[in-house]
Order: sequence, then structure tokens, then C-alpha cells
Amino acid sequence: MGSLIKIEKRNDISNSILLFSPVLAIILTLLSGAIIFYFLGFQPLEALKIFFIIPIADLYGFSELLLKATPLCIIAIGLSFCFKTNNWNIGAEGQLIFGGIVSGGVALLFYNQEGFFILPIIILTGALGGAIFALIPAILKTYFNTNEILTSLMLVYVAKLLLDYLVVGPWTNPEGFNFPETRMFSDSARMPLLFEGLRIHAGIFIALMLVALSWFIFFKTFLGFQMKVSGLSLKTARYAGYKGKKTILLVFIISGACAGLAGVGEITGPIGQLYREISPEYGFTAIIVTFLGRLNPIGIIFASLIVALTYLGAESAQIFLQVPKSIGQIFQGLILFFLLASDFLLYFKVKFLITQKKNEY
Amino acid sequence: METSLKISNISKAYPDCLANDNINLELKSGKIYALLGENGAGKSTLVKILFGIIQPDKGKIFLNNKILKLNSPRDAKKNKISMVFQHFSLFETLSVLENLILDSSEPKKSLENKIQDIINKYNFNIDLYTPVLNLSAGQKQKVEIIRCLIKNPDVLIMDEPTSVLTEQETKELFISLKKFSKEGILIIYITHKLKEVITLCDEVAVMRKGKLISISKVSNEKIESLASKMIGQNLKIVRKKRLEEKSNDQLIKIVNLNYKSTNPFEVNIKDINFEVNRGECLGIAGISGNGQSELFQMLSGEITSENNSIVFDNRPIGKLNPQERRKYLIAFSPEDRLTHASIPQMKIFENVALNNFKSSDFFKGGLINEKKIKDHSQRILTKFSVNTENVELKTQFLSGGNLQKLLIGRELITSPNLLICFNPTWGLDVGAIHYIHETLIKINDQNKSIILISTDTEELFMLSDKICAINKGRISKVFKTTDVSTEKLGLLMGGQFD
Repeated sequence: MGSLIKIEKRNDISNSILLFSPVLAIILTLLSGAIIFYFLGFQPLEALKIFFIIPIADLYGFSELLLKATPLCIIAIGLSFCFKTNNWNIGAEGQLIFGGIVSGGVALLFYNQEGFFILPIIILTGALGGAIFALIPAILKTYFNTNEILTSLMLVYVAKLLLDYLVVGPWTNPEGFNFPETRMFSDSARMPLLFEGLRIHAGIFIALMLVALSWFIFFKTFLGFQMKVSGLSLKTARYAGYKGKKTILLVFIISGACAGLAGVGEITGPIGQLYREISPEYGFTAIIVTFLGRLNPIGIIFASLIVALTYLGAESAQIFLQVPKSIGQIFQGLILFFLLASDFLLYFKVKFLITQKKNEY
Repeated sequence: METSLKISNISKAYPDCLANDNINLELKSGKIYALLGENGAGKSTLVKILFGIIQPDKGKIFLNNKILKLNSPRDAKKNKISMVFQHFSLFETLSVLENLILDSSEPKKSLENKIQDIINKYNFNIDLYTPVLNLSAGQKQKVEIIRCLIKNPDVLIMDEPTSVLTEQETKELFISLKKFSKEGILIIYITHKLKEVITLCDEVAVMRKGKLISISKVSNEKIESLASKMIGQNLKIVRKKRLEEKSNDQLIKIVNLNYKSTNPFEVNIKDINFEVNRGECLGIAGISGNGQSELFQMLSGEITSENNSIVFDNRPIGKLNPQERRKYLIAFSPEDRLTHASIPQMKIFENVALNNFKSSDFFKGGLINEKKIKDHSQRILTKFSVNTENVELKTQFLSGGNLQKLLIGRELITSPNLLICFNPTWGLDVGAIHYIHETLIKINDQNKSIILISTDTEELFMLSDKICAINKGRISKVFKTTDVSTEKLGLLMGGQFD
């Protein structure tokens, strides 16, 4: 009798807890980050400042934050469709790369041409490429009962190796001294830049449009309602008469298309050509963003900004503290870890009791 | 040796309710004690405390005047308290013998002899070497009982043991229980069925809302007196007007309905044929797990079939999904309210929107018409006397009875031509059961039809015009309800169709 801490299951999940849990996760991440920096021999507060404040202290830094947040946000919006319906698409990275390959191929077709029609075609084909690549695990899941986690993940490496082959082989720049990269795209195939001297481009508008569109779909349409029901109980969805297979295919198409769009944004934005590393694993990181944003479009905006900061912070830490850039991944991992841990609070409440009973018997 | 069990001042509170409120009971061997009460009265909590599964907040238990400390079922077994649960915990693919020797440290040979002795002594007709999956529910229960008897228990707790048994199996069980009692085992028999108390038990303890209402000799009680103690009010009796002249206007016809499942836990449906006329209620009896769930899903369209195997109003509908079938004004009320018919985390109006009858038009142009859904939900709440007016309430906060009223209301408010329901009163309190029964009778009075799949035979006799039984996915001949006796129905449920 008389335990100090009592854990009870919650009857209902309140909205305040839903917001509190990510905030708690971020605070815990900062704390453990400080501890890590301390053991690496740095002054923790100074190091955290270099990691989280310095990178966005000026206009250029802030624009870089938006630049990195854009693909994360776009992919995460797509993934939220999948995750809401319990379809575990882990292969957004592959879909991003494949969308990049398809749209990059189109851009290369027009490498020496100009015209207003070129960019829209590239954007559409990129989305299409991502969607088609995402359809593979979706079809395997619906018609052959395979596990989409495995298939979508493995397809990432297929896309990576395909890109590898293309940039060193058939698509390599004939005037490029055998560097593993393609020609530069023509100016008409590039996303318009928003400000002179900054790399931030029109892709951010695609992200914002997708946020608005997905919010509308989730909360205002029959499709969104069906997805909510299927996510909560497949049995009830069947009882209601919703078509399960169609929904699975659809959410994979949507998330693949979004990942493809993110790929388009990268290659037609800051990069301007195809080479091996067109994405610093945005597709995987976006999974963290999706959950940190609570599968909610507005939440995903904030989450993508926070996670984008870890990319910038890592670079900043590399420059000023001479620590490897991978420290950014440590922070991404910590955030996800603490978020999942804080979610415990969603379902259980912790009560602190004063021991009163000694023994009954 | 005489066994005495004393329960003294036991209380157990859960966040929302007081499950056991200061319970005091004294039990002695040589008698069969009934613990009678409705669902949620606190009987299960009390026996779980006796079996060490949960610990009371307050109170003590004495066995033979010695205080008992029960922290787990292991402690209970050590003190020779055994329990047979409503749901069996047997390994289906292992043989009877393997199941029985699993948790015993005795050498296999001597244990086998002991088991054989028990089987001979009580005339249990069980082959030790058959896999458990080939046994009937009654036989499985016997295996569970043998498992208890091996331990030479002083106290045997039976938790609603007849819910899965046929009439005949129930009789056999009662004979065995009376024998055990004569041999000095103290038997605690949990039930909400009044008849069983009268036929089997010597003393009866009635519980209501966590309190012990009374303890008395069964010989001093009648069904009516027990019922009013259990419910706390006098039992109203619903009676159906059975018209002699029933219409011959056929509404739905099932022709050679078949389903072969790839899931080993599902039952295959074999050559089912029946028809239902307008204004009629067809009852389908059966012990749970004999294909009722699969049949229900085939009727609702969650499992599709040959198009011609279900003909509704002269139109084949076997290939249609539930949404498409609703267009023909067929309504479905599944057995499981919490995982099948509704989603507890969603609000009332969202759960109402699950059933989009064509006339309700909840999603015009693919958009959610929230105002329309809410108005519609409000009407259901009022018309079917659900105990709330707040359509934004999550359904997890509704009691079983109110949830069922909401769900039945959702089906009936568009006045369907046919209602297909599966155990509509399962787990409800008497007031709600009464309400649902009256509602179902009203539907028939309006010349609408019902297919009532139920495991509750009393309910079936009360409500249906025609009756049949389902056994292992096959259906018996359909009889007029007035031509069938309880015994006959029991035989049909056990699979003796001819």
C-alpha cells in the first residue's frame, strides 16, 4: 500500500495536454542537449545559443530556416494523410528522390530552352513521379498483403541507386569532367527566387497551399471524415461502408505526390541540377515533423520550423564548435524520443500521493 | 471438513464508481450460493477480489476463520480457491491432456490417472487426446472445471457459466455442480439469470449498484421477488401482439448463402436459406461463435457474396456494400457497440454521420454538412430518450444503455424497411433492455421487418414470429415461434436439426 506515485489511465484526452506534450518534449530535448554539450566540454548555454539562436539571428539565417522547413513541411503534410489512416509510409525519402528523378529528367529535356510552361510541367511530373513510386507499396499492401513499412523503406534504396546510376551514367553532364552530376537546368526550369541574394524560393507557397488544402480536406470534407474513421477503427469504417482499399491507395498517392513536390522544390530551387545527394534525408526527418506536429496541418508548420532549425544548428555547431554535423541528427532523435515519451501523459495521468495507509491487514 | 468463507467490509472504488460498497457475506460449504445482479452491479469485482485478481481498498477475507491475503490468483489457488471464467483460457491446438498438465508440477502419469478418475467419477464425456479446438463449448468448460478439480478446491467460483451453453449442456453442468456441492465444495455461482438461481442454488445474494441488497434462502424466493430486488423496481413485462394472419408479402430472401473464410478464427457460412415477410420478426438463435457474426456481416454487406444470394424486394443485393444497402432502407445494428457500431473517441454527431442514409444527405458534394448532421443527431437524442442533449459529447461518456439507444435510434430514425440486429440488448440494464424490446415491437407494428440474431433465448421467444437456430454456420429449418419449446430450440442450437 501507499505508493508515492500513482498512474491512472485517462478517460479523455484534453486539448491542453495535446499541446503540452510537444512543448515538454522540446524542453527535455534542450535539457539533454545542454548535458551532451557539457560532456563534450562546452559551456552548455553558449553551445545551445550557437545551435539554436545564432543560425537564425539574421535575415539570411531566417530565410535559410524557411528554405529547409519548406520540404519538411510539404512531405509531412503528405505523410499525415498516411499516418492518420494507419498506413505507415516510411519511404517518403524514396518518393522524394523518384519525384526528383522524373522532374529532373523533364528539366534536362528542356535544358537549352526557355518558356513559362516549363516549370509547371516539371512540378506536375515531379508530383506524378512521387505518387507513382508511392503506389508501389500501396498496391503491394492492398493486393498482396505485404507490410508497407518494409516495402516503402526498401524502395528508398532503389530510388537512391537509380539516381546514382543516372548521374554517373546516362544523364551525366557531357561537359562536366565526369563529375557525378547532370547539366544545370535552364532558368525557366528554376523556382522563382523571392528575394535578391537569398535562396528562399516560391516552393514555400506550395507548402502553404498544401497546408490550407489539407486542413480543409481533414476537417471539412467527407474524404477527411472517412480517413478519420478508418484511422480510428477499420471495422467501423467497413460497417459504415467506406471503401478501405481505395482509401489506402489514395493516401499513398497523396503522400507520394507531396514528397515528389518536395523533391521538385529542392532540385529546381537551391540545387538546379541532379546529383547524388539531392536530399539530406528530408524524407525521413519529415516523419518526426509529422508526429511533432500532431498530424495537424498547423502543428506541422511549427514542427517543420523547429526541426529545420536542427539542420541549421548542426551546421553552425560544426563551424563554431568543431563538432560533426551529425549532432543535428542527435537532436532530431532526441525530439522524437521525448515526444513519444511525453505521449505517455496523453493516455495516463500521474498522481503524486502522500502515503497515508500503513497496512490494512 | 467444513469450509467457511467470510467476506468482511469489502470496498473497492474505481474512478467513476463504487464497485463494491462495504460488502459482508458469510458462506459455508455444502451449499450453492448464487451471486445475482445486473451487469455493473459489482459481482465480477467481488469475485475478482476473492480470486486475487484485484485488491480491495478496504476489508478482509477470512477462510476457515483465518485471514486471507490474496495478492494474485496464485495466492488464491494456494488456498484452494478456484475459478472458472466466462471466457475460456485454453490452448486450442493442444490436446485436452496437454492443456491440463501445463501448469502442474505433478508427474504426468499420476496426473493423468487423477484426471481419468475425475472424468469417470462425474461422467464427463471427454477424450483426453483430442485437440481442444474440436470440443464444443460445453466440453471446453468441463476441461476448465477439471483443471480446477485437479487442485482439490474448497471453493469453486463459476462466472456466468451458462452464457455459452445449450439447454442440455446447462442441465449437465447443474448436475455436476450439485455433486461437487455434496462433496463439500463451496460453490459461488455468478449469474443474472433468475431461473438458474431457482433451479440450482440454495442461497442467493443479490447485488445492486455495488451494494449487497439481500441474502436469503432460495426456497423463500420467487422469480418476481428476485427480479425486483435485482432491479430495484417492479419488472414491467413487454408482450408482443402476435397476429394470427401474417402477411405473405416477402421482403428479403436469402438463397444458398455461402462464405468460406481464410481466417481460422471465423466460421464458414454454409448454404443458408430463409425469407422474411413484411411486418415479421425472424429470430436466429444460437450459441455465440457459431457464425452469427459472419452472418450479420454478410447481411450488412461488410462481407459481400454472390449477388443473387441475397434478394431484397426482388432486387439482388449480395454484392452491395453497407452504404449501398442503406439506400434500400435496410438498417444494421451490430453486436459490438464500442468497436463495430461506433467509435468511442468520436462525438455523438460524428458517430451519427457514420450512417449516411440517402435521405439524410450528410455529405453533399463531398463536404461535411455539420449543421444538418447535428440537427439530425438532436432529433435522435430526443426521440429515443438518450440521456443527454449535447451532440458534441464523445460517445465514450455514454452508458451502455444510452449508447445503444443512440445507435438503434440512428438506425431507426429514417424508418427503415428492415432492421438487422445482433444481440441488441447484450450487456444492458433491465430498463434499457425493456426500452429496446418495446422499440423492436413497435417496428413490427408498423409493418417493418426485423432479423434478430441473438444468443438470449428468452428475448427471442418474446420478440420473434418465426425462429430458427444457427450452428457451425448452418441454419435449421424455420419454425413458427409458438410451435417451438425451449427444449426443442436447445436441441437446434446444439446442431440437432432433424
